[in-house]
Amino acid sequence: MGLLLVAVPVLLVLWLIVWPIVVAVFTTFQVDTPKGPAWSLESYSFFFTDGFSLGNLWVTIWTTAVTTVIVIAVALPIALYLRFSNGKLAAYIQSIALFPLFVPSILLAFALIRTIGPNGMLDTLLNAAHLPKIRSPYLTPWGPVIGLTWDNLPLTLLIVLSGLANVSTASVEAARDVGAGSLSILWHIILPRIANSLLVAASFIVLGLFSAFTLPYLLGPAAPEMMGPFMQRTFIDVNNPTEATTQAMITFLFCAVFAVFYVRSVASSQRRRG
Amino acid sequence: MNRRELLLTGTALASATLLPRAVFAEANRLDVYINGDANISDFWSNVIKPAFEKANSGITVNVVIARGDNGTTPIVARAMAALKTKQDPQVDVFEENDPLEAKGGIAAGLWADFSKAGLANYSKINPLAIQTPYGLPYRGSQVLLAYDTTKLPKDKVPKTWPDLVAWIKANPGQFIYNRPDKGGSGGNFVRRAIHEANGRDPSKFTVDNYVKGDSDALLAKGFALLQDIAPSLYDQGAYTAGNTASLQLLAQGAVTMIPAWSDQALQSISQGVLPDTTGLVQLTDLALCGGFSTSTIPTDAANYAQALKLADFILTPEIQAQIVGDLGGFPGIKWEFLPEDLQKKYADVVPKSIPTFPGGDWASAISDGWYRIVAPNVSRS
Repeated sequence: MGLLLVAVPVLLVLWLIVWPIVVAVFTTFQVDTPKGPAWSLESYSFFFTDGFSLGNLWVTIWTTAVTTVIVIAVALPIALYLRFSNGKLAAYIQSIALFPLFVPSILLAFALIRTIGPNGMLDTLLNAAHLPKIRSPYLTPWGPVIGLTWDNLPLTLLIVLSGLANVSTASVEAARDVGAGSLSILWHIILPRIANSLLVAASFIVLGLFSAFTLPYLLGPAAPEMMGPFMQRTFIDVNNPTEATTQAMITFLFCAVFAVFYVRSVASSQRRRG
Repeated sequence: MNRRELLLTGTALASATLLPRAVFAEANRLDVYINGDANISDFWSNVIKPAFEKANSGITVNVVIARGDNGTTPIVARAMAALKTKQDPQVDVFEENDPLEAKGGIAAGLWADFSKAGLANYSKINPLAIQTPYGLPYRGSQVLLAYDTTKLPKDKVPKTWPDLVAWIKANPGQFIYNRPDKGGSGGNFVRRAIHEANGRDPSKFTVDNYVKGDSDALLAKGFALLQDIAPSLYDQGAYTAGNTASLQLLAQGAVTMIPAWSDQALQSISQGVLPDTTGLVQLTDLALCGGFSTSTIPTDAANYAQALKLADFILTPEIQAQIVGDLGGFPGIKWEFLPEDLQKKYADVVPKSIPTFPGGDWASAISDGWYRIVAPNVSRS
């Protein structure tokens, strides 16, 4: 009976997701010859010898790495503050930090053009304070980094917060009683307990960033472009589905590495509880 | 009622609503199929429909919105099938439809020939807009240059490609166009450069003459012109991600000039998104690309005579003036038939030619080539 219940979703997944993927992967290993399709690694060798494609892959890795570090660096202090303080102010800060969760990224992109874009609010403020104008990050690789940081903050914060729930107030107070400073409490008591959550958070960010589309599309430079817009453009505008699928396969392999991290960390934490 | 009965009745009721409703064309009700954006269907519902019904009592206009991936394509197929079986196609007017697209449609006599239909206003149509007598070009749009008159006075604005390039180089950072595949304004600016590099002769590029290699060499000449101006563009060679993003940069005063669609620019000015001080100009040596939307009427339409009346009606100077004023489009008729104040207001944008550029393989080659050649080849440090 239980099997029957899961049969429908499993069949749907097989039919609508797994099967198309298998078919698509096959097409990336084929070339059309006059005699019909033949096996070949041509589309992969094109990708890895094409400086333009590699540049796009590189900027995706760069954006992912920089954004992940920034998001965790921003989320961790906020999470620590929220975990160890009470009162109205903490509630306000939490709701502000979670606010980006409810803003569609296309609105965010156009709002960011207005604020950090040229002659935007930031420029106006700097000008009012008699500070020099800065070069706008809009249409540079830093544009998507700023947008994606904003976009990824709430989910990261929630994951880190749930990890911090594992840190008992008693153990922190005990450490403080024997004279431990704030930094050593963070390093020896808190971080070891939330390492798993941080890894999960990082995996989520990386997986999301690799397939990011709207923000890199609207805020980033024309070239190099991130894999999301690159795949879409290759598929629709350049009208080359095989190369687009190859790009997707390569993107998928990078994501798969992080998916393995994620699955292993979930499995190990379950075993510990088990 | 037990559970089984309830289920049965429910299923029966639900499937009844799934049955295709038997729709028959009513006498004197014109079914107008529209696959354009909301601004077009709103214009038909709020402007054309009431005006036409007032002028022709007894005839009603039924605006049918057929948006989506296929739009009106299946309806055209239905009209074609109905012609063969001599049945009612249940459509009287296609608001925007290329009569050349449905294979064999013209040969089979599917579309009304407007030049022989006795329309009183047909002779008013701008001859530049007529590609085939089977389509009625009643509204158009063209890419032109929008600029900030407070920084660039009207009498100093460049009106030819060489002048434009000279101006861009003399004013670094003040011009930006969007990536060619992300919106027609930048796309047609890129195509204008390709025209420029190939003797300003749009006839060199047709739907079926793209040849890999040879054609790429033609495109490369245009890309070289764009590479030449790239360092003088906004942020030493940045490109926005669409028509709207370019308009936004112009509105924020970050740049002085952009290429823009005439209808988007005119609408932005009338809605206050762009200030009143925005100027519009078209290049006089060869205009930027544009196009007209053509309406078609199937000859087997149940209300054929009334549909022709409607076709004549949308060409009247009153409706055409509203296409310019409300819709921001270009008129299908010659500008001289429009009110004088409108003519004066748009004197700089009235096109002397409306070049076009084919899509298909050409568009793919332009997108790929531009991203590889023009977009990255700049040091922006």
